[in-house]
Amino acid sequence: MSNAPHILVIDDEPQILRAIRTILTEKQFKVTIASRGEEGLTLAAANEPDIVILDLGLPDMDGLEVCTRLREWTQCPIIVLSVRDSEREKVAALDKGADDYLTKPFGIEELLARVRVALRHSARAQGTQSSVVKAGRLTIDLAWHIVKLGEEEVKLTGTEHKLLAYLAANHGRVLTHQSILTNVWGPADADHTEYLRVYMRQLRKKLEADPERPQYILTEPGIGYRFIADE
Amino acid sequence: MSHFWQYLRSFVLIAFITAIFFALRDVLDKTLIALIYLIPLGFITAFWGLGPGITSAVLTFVTFNYFFIQPYHTFAVHNPTDVVILIVFLIVAVVVSQLIGRAQAGQAMATAREREATQLYELSVALAGLHDDHAIAEILAKHIQAISQGEAVELNIMGAQPFVFHLPESDPPTRTPELIVPIQAVRGVLGEIRLWRTAPAISSGARRLLQTFASQGALALERALLAQAESRARVLEESDKLKSAILSSVSHELRTPLSTIKAAASSLRGKEVGWDSPARTELIAAIDDEADHLNILVGNLLDMSRIESGALKPKREWNILSEIVGSVLARMKHLAEEHRIEVEIPENLPLVSVDYVQMEQVFTNLLSNSLKYAPANTTICIRAHVEEETIHVQVSNQGPQVPPEHLERIFDKFYRTTAADRVTGTGLGLSICKGIIEAHEGRIWADNLTNGLAFNFTLPLIWDGATPSQLPIDMETE
Repeated sequence: MSNAPHILVIDDEPQILRAIRTILTEKQFKVTIASRGEEGLTLAAANEPDIVILDLGLPDMDGLEVCTRLREWTQCPIIVLSVRDSEREKVAALDKGADDYLTKPFGIEELLARVRVALRHSARAQGTQSSVVKAGRLTIDLAWHIVKLGEEEVKLTGTEHKLLAYLAANHGRVLTHQSILTNVWGPADADHTEYLRVYMRQLRKKLEADPERPQYILTEPGIGYRFIADE
Repeated sequence: MSHFWQYLRSFVLIAFITAIFFALRDVLDKTLIALIYLIPLGFITAFWGLGPGITSAVLTFVTFNYFFIQPYHTFAVHNPTDVVILIVFLIVAVVVSQLIGRAQAGQAMATAREREATQLYELSVALAGLHDDHAIAEILAKHIQAISQGEAVELNIMGAQPFVFHLPESDPPTRTPELIVPIQAVRGVLGEIRLWRTAPAISSGARRLLQTFASQGALALERALLAQAESRARVLEESDKLKSAILSSVSHELRTPLSTIKAAASSLRGKEVGWDSPARTELIAAIDDEADHLNILVGNLLDMSRIESGALKPKREWNILSEIVGSVLARMKHLAEEHRIEVEIPENLPLVSVDYVQMEQVFTNLLSNSLKYAPANTTICIRAHVEEETIHVQVSNQGPQVPPEHLERIFDKFYRTTAADRVTGTGLGLSICKGIIEAHEGRIWADNLTNGLAFNFTLPLIWDGATPSQLPIDMETE
């Protein structure tokens, strides 16, 4: 039990706290809860949790502020919770260092999936990382710049490859338009969402069985994209 | 200058007449000469004013004495009768001049008054029925400019949205205006009129007229304020009515899924449903589905209130329409099992600048409306093509047609073509679509097809005056 991952949940709604705590404890996680931003920051400093689940709408301080202050000293994954239609807020939180987001109301499966991705990601960040990412029939060798669909190698242009490599290296995580554009095209092109749309379509055409219903690269509406790899 | 000319002209006329009389001195009787002298005097007063009239009267008295009373060419008078004639002449000349002058001045004043009244009438006619501050300011400035012949007129209107209007359109002179008249209303100063006019100086009459104009303007502005307050009150009243309609519709709609959730959850909590019973799975599925349903309802209400309050601001980015449609279809897959859905969106359709999430909402609402009304095993078709400067999107179904007179009303809030209890929903879906499309500067409408109904909307291809920027050249890998 002592090795169980420690999750800190910061949310001001007691019902949500109760539900999340019940479910996560059931799944063998160690759970600490806080209902205010300041309290959350103090607990985070005291306990050094493995994951922070943070509601963006807190009564005492802005969730974005909590995010920024956590990032000043820890790289532990932060999953933000917010309501529908607050894409701007979510993007801001992701750009401020949050790792993932969940829209309320969410299913518990979604929550657990996000927690798993976050844990794996922090483990990867600490340990060695395999340079090969597999997703269904797709195999991406990040070290050797080889992309295979089944047994066949897929021909990608330079930009397409850079784009796919960035997504695959961060598989499971949501990547905002801005972070993709900055990393693949450079900071000067951070606002050119149209580049991303066009290249994403080309990439999906080459990789996905049905480009309109992608299996590997999912669209996160209003936020960005997420690459789904095998567990 | 003009006074000088008036006097000069008067003196010339007197000199001319005197010359004629001088020539006829031996023929004409001096009393007759005195009488005839009165004619030019009256003429001078009538046309050139009282000053020249009186001066000419005195001048005539002198010339009459000098030239026509014996002894000639002296101012001496020997005959007592002549003294009487001279004095009577002087009195008559001055009195006649004064009478004519006064009548003249009275008439001039009456004419000026009439002109003022006409100008005032024209102003009030022009201002009547105006409820817009800017229009009132414009009319007021134009009329002031017309009556004052000033160099420039500027109106400073205070209030909730202060603004400055000036005529002519070029910037007014930098020096301080010659005349500033406040626009004073019952409830305080609403603004001020600034007038620049160098010469001639502004007369007291013009000043008075300007003040009258200012109070007319104040009345019009106050009337506009009242009208605005009234229309605000009406809007509030209507939104109040709308809110109660929403509340009644919503409480009904919210209760249905809530009852399901409550029933399912409580029976799961009790001991009636066994752990392995298939009913258990079904109840859990019901809770899950109804929770989603509730979430959609609440989302619709939020959207509607945002649209109503004008807070729905699309976060526009260049997007691929087929990607949006694809993600909506993937999400609605389990709802659309009884229908065929065809998508005909050309590969080379240009990028369109829309808010991804809001556009998903539009497609979701149009599709769920089609799914709700169109019978099972029919086809729902989504098409898009470029038409002039816009992208035209159509979502058509083989469901029931809508009476032509109701085609526009289906986008109204809570509007239903069928009885409210037959189909569930808040009746907000299509009005949300309308709100979103209009926030994207597009247009949405419905058409009856030969065998169904089509929803159409347009989206502008150009956003912020631009089309998507060119993609950088990509290097092929070997």
